[in-house]
Amino acid sequence: MTVTAPAAPAAPPLAGAGPSRRARKPSPFPYALLAPALAILLVLVGWPLVNLVITSFQHFGREQAFGQPPTWAGVENYTTLLADGEFYAVLLRSFAFMVAAVATTMVLGTLLALLMMRLAKGWRTLVSVGLLLAWAIPALTSVMVWGWMFDTQYGVVNHVLTQLTGESWRGHSWLIHPLSFFLVLGLIVVWMGVPFIAFTMYAGLTQVPGEVLEAAQLDGAGARKRFFLIQVPYIRQIVIVLTVLSVIWDLRIFAQVYALQGIGGLYEKTSTLGVWIYQVGTASGDYGMSAAAAVVMVVIMLAVSFGYVRQTLKEED
Amino acid sequence: MKKNRIAATTVASTITLALALTACSSTGSGGTSDDASEAGGSGGTGDIRVWLVGTDTPQEARDYLKSTFEEENPGSTLTIEEQAWEGLVDKYTTALSGSDSPDLVEIGNTQAAAFTSAGAFVDLTDKYEELGGDDLLPGFVESGSYEDKFYAAPYYSGARVVVYSTDVTKDTPVPTTWDEYLANIESLSSDTVSGLWTPGKDWRNAMAFVWANGGEMATQESDGTWKGGFSSPEALEGLTQLQKVMTTENLAPADSDETDPQVPFCAGEVAYLAAPSWVRWSIAAAEDAEAPGCLSTLGAEDKLSAFAIPGQEAGSYAPVLAGGSNIAIPAKSQHQDLAYEALTIMLSDGYQEILAKNGLVPAKVSQAKFLPDDAFSQASAAAAAAAKLTPASPKWADVEASGVLEDSFVKLAQGEDPAAVAKALDAEIESTLNG
Repeated sequence: MTVTAPAAPAAPPLAGAGPSRRARKPSPFPYALLAPALAILLVLVGWPLVNLVITSFQHFGREQAFGQPPTWAGVENYTTLLADGEFYAVLLRSFAFMVAAVATTMVLGTLLALLMMRLAKGWRTLVSVGLLLAWAIPALTSVMVWGWMFDTQYGVVNHVLTQLTGESWRGHSWLIHPLSFFLVLGLIVVWMGVPFIAFTMYAGLTQVPGEVLEAAQLDGAGARKRFFLIQVPYIRQIVIVLTVLSVIWDLRIFAQVYALQGIGGLYEKTSTLGVWIYQVGTASGDYGMSAAAAVVMVVIMLAVSFGYVRQTLKEED
Repeated sequence: MKKNRIAATTVASTITLALALTACSSTGSGGTSDDASEAGGSGGTGDIRVWLVGTDTPQEARDYLKSTFEEENPGSTLTIEEQAWEGLVDKYTTALSGSDSPDLVEIGNTQAAAFTSAGAFVDLTDKYEELGGDDLLPGFVESGSYEDKFYAAPYYSGARVVVYSTDVTKDTPVPTTWDEYLANIESLSSDTVSGLWTPGKDWRNAMAFVWANGGEMATQESDGTWKGGFSSPEALEGLTQLQKVMTTENLAPADSDETDPQVPFCAGEVAYLAAPSWVRWSIAAAEDAEAPGCLSTLGAEDKLSAFAIPGQEAGSYAPVLAGGSNIAIPAKSQHQDLAYEALTIMLSDGYQEILAKNGLVPAKVSQAKFLPDDAFSQASAAAAAAAKLTPASPKWADVEASGVLEDSFVKLAQGEDPAAVAKALDAEIESTLNG
């Protein structure tokens, strides 16, 4: 696509009298309404983002964080980063985890929403309260609780497994092998992510008109067909929003991974993108490099969401 | 299709918001900082915040500091905020470079260089004599100095000793050589008792194995570059001995760290516990304390004892990692004069005497006479004389903060080949120190 300079705007019709002119004049009111939100976004997002990009082109270490002037690095941070095998390993790990976590969260959330559609009021309230409680627990707290349950020496999981299987599970470390580390991490992330998906899907599903479903049922459509051919198309927008949000949330998880690494496991084999950027920057003091990695992460996030936004806007026309 | 437009707008705005949050969370504290010295002391009154790390500082000392400060500086208050040792370098990097900096901070002696070299602390060179001069612990004055300037004063020191309870070790004699030490660990271990408690992430206490055999962490070449030392034959010998202990004579999980060792110790699952000497206060805490110990059983005064890890020759001692802290005034503190007042209290004879009586080696050599006269003090003194520091590079703190030492020792505990682990570790250390 080529971009041409916008043609000079046609001169406005001179003093076109009468009501027609008044109708064409755009009202500034919508912009006034947008202004506060835009101002906040510019200050809280725009400015740090600009700083981030600038830092990514600098040699910026701990000395610079304490006030010494940084020196320019050109694209050195980016070339080093993109030649670093560890970066790709971290990227791949983050994406693999994200795909698994998003798929599990969406499927479980949808199943729970369908369950809530069929439950009697009392049971539905009970399920809702349970979901709300899981959702209300802060990320760090739930990592600590799950971490204790999976504790190598005194954890309840090992205790129960010992009781059930008769073999001694005491001393089995769940976090030391990367795969089972991500299993535990996935459990925590999915457990915390499911309530939001379930509630939103439930809200969406209740909006599907009952008569359409009834008509389909009379025409012989089974439950599976009714779900995929009627309910899902009706709530497509919601599914898209939820998927995009889950993708973003699960790609940028930080607290859960960071806290779980403190409980056990190898840093080298379990760091995801956010934690790795933190380790390179704040912990090891190479801000330039971590800024470059963060810029790459922002670009990836933009790419992921941009496709969906464009598609949604296109279908609106 | 009005409904659809609303949906589209919602999609767009939620995504913007989500991206916004992403951007926020992934940005470092990149902002250019203001003139570091603008804060300056006002000389008036104020509320200062002191950051102490971990539970090492006894409550008696904390109370003494607060009441003495508030008495000497009417109208001002002092608040002690306790920080955790884990992730301390990260935390200080953000907290001390921001506008809401604490006024006085404790920092681990091996971490101090990362901040003294970055200009994060107020220069105390002029105050050196006033703070104690040559009475201050020389090794810690060195770790708090950078390019002949004195930034972080010594706070206290502690040596790593081996703690045991005669309830578990019975009549096993205290080892006098390194080989006897290893033999005791082997004979004391069983299915339910660790001969030596060695959690995988605990590289600090495990370093004695490398040093006792003559290995080094890293050495500086004549051209100024650093060379990792874990692959040397001496260090490998130590790592191999360590691996045997970790995998066959130890019950601590391979990926756990050294926090709360009193829990397995009080359960009678530990014969030898290598730890800083002040761990005795965690063990000899009452059973109903907030952090319970076992004062009436294994931790009783007549059962709990300690020795310094012996060296290869009888009568010598194995080098252990010198533990301890420095204390400094952040350059961005808003109350530097008041912070200095608090610093002088912490280095006063009265305050250091409290530390000594609680078994911490005081920052002032003259106050060491108040150390309790028991096995712990004798072991501490012997171990302190043989203690070693981490490589003297301002970037060493970055090696520690990256977690590569923890990872490598966890791999050893998992049974990976020591030579391969050592080679990878040396490469990481060299790339960080020379980078």
